[in-house]
Parts: sequence; C-alpha cells; structure tokens
Amino acid sequence: MSHTVLVCDDAIFMRTMISDILAQAGFEIVGEAETGSQAVEKYKQLRPDLVTMDIVMPDMGGIDAVREIVKHDPDAKILMCSAMGQQALVVEAIQAGAKDFVVKPFQPSRVLEAVQRVLG
Amino acid sequence: MDLSQYAELFLAESREHLSACNQLLLEWERHPAGLTPVSGLFRAVHTVKGMAATMGYARVTDLAHRMENLLDVQRRGAHPATDELLQLLFRARDALERAVELSVVGRERELDVAAIVADLEQAAARMAPARPGERPVPSPEPTEPEPEAAGRLVQVTLRPEAPLKGGRAVLVLKRAQALGAVHAVTPPVTAFEADEFDGRFSFRLDATAAAEQIEAALKAAGDVAHVTVGGAEAGGPAPEPGATPGDAGAVGGGPSRHIRVDLRRLDGLMDLIGELITVRGRLNQLAAERRDPAVDDVAIQVSRLSSDLQAEILQARMTPVWQVFDRFPRLVRDVARELGKQVAFRVEGKEIELDRAILDELGDPLMHLLRNAVDHGIEPPAERRRRGKPPEGEVVLTAQRERASVTITVADDGRGVDRRKILERAQREGVVDAHADALTDEQLLRVLARPGFSTAEAVTSVSGRGVGIDVAMTRIRALGGTIEIRSELGKGTTFVLRLPVTLAIVRAIMASVGPERYALPLTYVAETVEFGAVTTTMVEGREAIVLRDHVVPLVHLRRLLGVTSDRAPARAPIIVLELGDRRAGVVVDGMLGQQEIVVKGFDAPQGTLPVFSGATIMGDGVPALILDAAGLV
Repeated sequence: MSHTVLVCDDAIFMRTMISDILAQAGFEIVGEAETGSQAVEKYKQLRPDLVTMDIVMPDMGGIDAVREIVKHDPDAKILMCSAMGQQALVVEAIQAGAKDFVVKPFQPSRVLEAVQRVLG
Repeated sequence: MDLSQYAELFLAESREHLSACNQLLLEWERHPAGLTPVSGLFRAVHTVKGMAATMGYARVTDLAHRMENLLDVQRRGAHPATDELLQLLFRARDALERAVELSVVGRERELDVAAIVADLEQAAARMAPARPGERPVPSPEPTEPEPEAAGRLVQVTLRPEAPLKGGRAVLVLKRAQALGAVHAVTPPVTAFEADEFDGRFSFRLDATAAAEQIEAALKAAGDVAHVTVGGAEAGGPAPEPGATPGDAGAVGGGPSRHIRVDLRRLDGLMDLIGELITVRGRLNQLAAERRDPAVDDVAIQVSRLSSDLQAEILQARMTPVWQVFDRFPRLVRDVARELGKQVAFRVEGKEIELDRAILDELGDPLMHLLRNAVDHGIEPPAERRRRGKPPEGEVVLTAQRERASVTITVADDGRGVDRRKILERAQREGVVDAHADALTDEQLLRVLARPGFSTAEAVTSVSGRGVGIDVAMTRIRALGGTIEIRSELGKGTTFVLRLPVTLAIVRAIMASVGPERYALPLTYVAETVEFGAVTTTMVEGREAIVLRDHVVPLVHLRRLLGVTSDRAPARAPIIVLELGDRRAGVVVDGMLGQQEIVVKGFDAPQGTLPVFSGATIMGDGVPALILDAAGLV
C-alpha cells in the first residue's frame, strides 16, 4: 500500500508541485492544507503517514503546527519545506519535532531522499 | 523536471500576492505606526520568492529575498514605517511585478534589478541591529564546554553543497541522541542558526555501539560527508542514496473544491457552445419545417440542455470585479501624490461579478476615468479649503448589479465640469450650435468625448499620457455598454458605465436589408413601428418621426450601407433604438424575429462604416453583421 501524504503550503503552486513530485513517486496525496491550523485539523482527521509542512503560512505558521501535531501524535512524520535563509526557523522546527527538511527550490530527487529518511 | 507546466500557476499566484502587497502597503501608509500589514507583506513576498526559486527565476528570487530581508529587519525592530521606507517598498513591489511578468515569458535577462536590490540592502543595513538572533532558541543539550566530558569524540563534516547546514547538524545530533547522551557540542547549537556555520562540528557521544554503527546512524541524517568516531576516520563521502520510489499507481489530488482553469479553455468552451447554439438554431428551423412531434420533442430538449449548458459556462466565466479593481487604490494614490492632492479612495461592490472578457477590457477605461477624477476633478487641498470643503477629496468607485447589466460609477467630489467654459470652446470649434446657451449632460459628454478635446489649461503628465475619454468611451461601447456623465460645478463629476453581464451571447432582433441580414442587440431596442404608421417630419434638415411627442431622427440602413438592389418596401419597419436619452429610428427592409446570437470579435477593415460592433453566424451558417447602437443614434 502506498504511503499517504498531507501537503501543507499556502501557495497552490507549491502544493501542486510537491503533490506532483510525490504522486509520481507513488505516494497518495490524501489532503492539502493552506494554513497551520488547517494542517493540524486535517492531520487529526486523516492521520497521514507523512506531512510536508511549509514554514511561513497565514493564520498559524508551520512551526506552531508541528508543535500541535506532535503534541497530538509524537510519532508524526513531518518534513519541513523551507527556503534559503531560514536556518534559524528550520532549527526551531526540528527542535519542535520535525523529522527532516528540504529547501526550495525543490529538486525531486532531494525531496524523495528526505521523504525516505523520514519514513525510514 | 519540466517546469513550464507550472509557469501559469506561478504567474497567477504571484499576481495575487503582488496585488495583496499593494493593498497592504497602502494600508500601512495610512497607519505607518501599525505593524499588522508587515507580516502579510512578508508572507506574500516570501511565497513569491519560494515559487520563483523553484521556477529557477534567479532575479525574481533575489529581489524577493532582499525585500523579505528588509521586511524581516523592520518587523523584528518594530520600526514604524517611514515615508522613505514605504516608497522603497512600493518601488520594490513594482520591480518585483515586472520581474515576475518578464521571467514568465522568458525575458528575465532584460531585467536589471541591481539598483533596487542595492537600495533594499542599504535600507536593511541601516535598520538592522548590531547583530540579529535576539530570538533565543533553546538548545537540546547544555552547551557549556565540558572539558572532561565522557564519551567518544565524534566529528562530523557535512557536504559542502548541503543547504541550511545548521538544520542538518541538528538532525545529526538528534540521531546521535538516539544512540546515547550527547555532550560538548562544538560549536554550540546556537551557532547552527547562523548562516556562517560551515558544516563542521563535533560532540561527545556516550554510547557503546561500534564506530561503524554510529557512523551509519549519523549518515542517515542526510548530507553528511564524513564522520569520525573516537578519533579514527571512518568512511569517505557518503554514497548517493538512490531515490527509491514506492509502488506507482495512486495519483494524488487533494479533495479541493476549486480548480484553476486556464482562461483560454473557457474561451474555447464558449466558442463551442456558440457553435452548439448556432446548430440549435438550425435544428429548430428544421423541426419547424418538419412538423413532426417527435422531432419537435428532441429539438425542445436540445434547446433546454444547451441553454442550461450555456448558463453554466457563462457562470464559470464570471469573475468578481475586485480582480481588476484591486490595482486602483494604488493608482489613485500614486496620481494624487504626484499632483500634491489628498484623496480618499473607496471601492464598493467589489464582489459583483462580470464576464471575464468584459472585466479584462474594463481596466484601461476605468484607469483613465480615475486618473481624470484625481487630475481634473479633485482640487488641491488649499483650493478645497477656500471653497469650504474638507482638504481631502473623495473618489468612489462602485459596482452594482441591475438585472442583466452591471453599473459601474466613478464619482468624485471635486470641482465639477465648468459647462460655460466647455460650451465656449465647443462653440468656437463649431461642435455645438452657436446659439445654444447651455449644455445638457449628454451634450457635455459628446463634447468631452471628442478626440483631443481637453479643457485642462496645462496638460499634466497624468492625463497627458493616458487615453482620452473618447478612447474610454469607444472601449465601453465596443463591449456593448454605455457611458454617461453627471456633473455639477463645484460639487463633482460622476461617470456611469452600464455594461452587459456577459458578452458572448445576446438576444437580438434580426433585420434584413437587401439580401443581407443584420442583428440588433435587444438591449438597445426600445420598440418597433412601421413606416407610414407614424408621422414623418423634417427636423434640422434630418428626416424624423414623431413618437409620442418625441422627435426621433431616422437612419435609413439602405442608404447608409449603399444597398441599391431591389426596392425598399413601402411600409418598412422602423426599429427604434435607445441609448441613454438619445434615440434613433433605424429603417430596415424587413424584420426576421428575435434570436440568440453568439457575438464574435470583429476586426473591421479600414474604411468600414463605424456602425458594426461584431459579427455572428446564423443557423444556416451564413454570417451576419451586428449593428452597433452607439454608432447609429
């Protein structure tokens, strides 16, 4: 059975691209979220095997969403999607419980590597 | 991977964010001490940056990155916005917009962002505190040096090309913690957050596992080049982990309620529906000839279904006006600023919807009317005070739905049009009868709309560069709309635009002149009468009919179109058109009833009479021209 993924990003562009990369690799995208609070809500509802999480989102940011999700499920496998220059935020996200990160611009091979590490 | 497929999505979404930036900057400008717009701005720019980086648009990315930096510094320092900062951000936003647009069409090389990038950098440097990193991040482990720390010394070197090495280092430490206690991390974890961190670090690990096991565990964190455990160098560069895709098959797609559709798809669908409706017309014609109830039944069903389908497609094309209106607050602000005027700009009815094709055409005429309102309408603050008005003028843009049409008004509370001056000038130029002593609203508009007519004493740069009211008017009319002016000296001017909600399909009266058929959109048809059934008279040298005490000038289509074949029927029908308070009676040879026609764009060759607004294909496949009411009355 393929792994299920929840894709969280406020940009449709990014969600589309991540979904495409993962879907082509055989993952099943079960949901998308545009804000941190949506991500938390959908995580509880969908219990996906993997979450990709943007850091900067309206409403509730990605890092707070990681904290909330991990509080709810300490084993949650969350992959942060970050940009150059977000070193401190990435460190914070990992300390909050994110399992790995990828850096924009996304290269499909690097995204899939990171996903494999997270799902380990 | 092929990125071109994402270019449109990139463009559409970037435009949204850039439009949001404008709104947020304007809001910030109104309340410079408030910081609420900053996080929205930061987010918007950040999103554009991430998307641009993914698309490989280096200059867009760079520009967005500098803007983001500046906003971040500003946000952290909680500095109120200075005028200088706001102007810089406005400029940067505009530059970013150009960069986005050019990049998408493959012209990124033409961009020169060096100047604005330098300005952004300088501004950020001026505002930045001595050193960032005020935000304390708790480290996972105590970082005090432990000279005699227990455990084995582990030294890690990350790959030089690894992005965000600090983040990676923290992931390595987490893996290490899974094996045993970690002490004496050097440099301390707080250093990982700095961009200068070079990816080399060491720590003490209190674990009994074999060196190879530790090494393998740490390398699994990714991007690790070397690991040495207990002083012994172990392993070289990590082998490239092959991407191992899972079982293919399930293709994702979130359960989203909205999808984005390329506008050209909708246009294509619209064309097809148009053809379907044309064929439906033919089917109805055949069914009528057959007089077969079974065929009638099918024809009726096809009619109903195609009407429903058409309504659905038209609905899908409807777009809220804010998509075009949203750029106007910025425009009004810029013009007002340039002219040293104070203007409060309000938009009402943002959510009103119009066909996308109409909305797209509306941008320029509205832009012109708004510029005019600020330039010619609103007085400078001192003059307003003298006249007992508040120094800040008001411009209001309103959209309202009225049955099958949408009314858009541009109103200002400025000086209004000086009819006396305009009348004088119009009489000098022979546009208006020399004896007239007043101008009606309608005459006023006609005078103002004459190409090149301007009452501005000095042509300012603002109105000097735009299209004239004449161009705005032509555009509106080409869309099947009308434009009216109301103006009162000293109180202000209002332009009222009436537009059909949809463009593509209209009901029309079909008329024949000679061997040809013509369509007259029903929107402008007031009534039809018969030649001979009404009194004809001559008014100011023009033939006219008298209809309920109103004189309606006649237009003989035969003469106008130069049709000489056959002879005009004695009791020719007259179609009375009404456009605002102007009327005209169009004399045709015969009336062929009403039907829905699909309006096709029409590039009139040079020299064509300015009385056609488009063309349509009839049920039998023969084209017919659509008469433009505005060109006839």
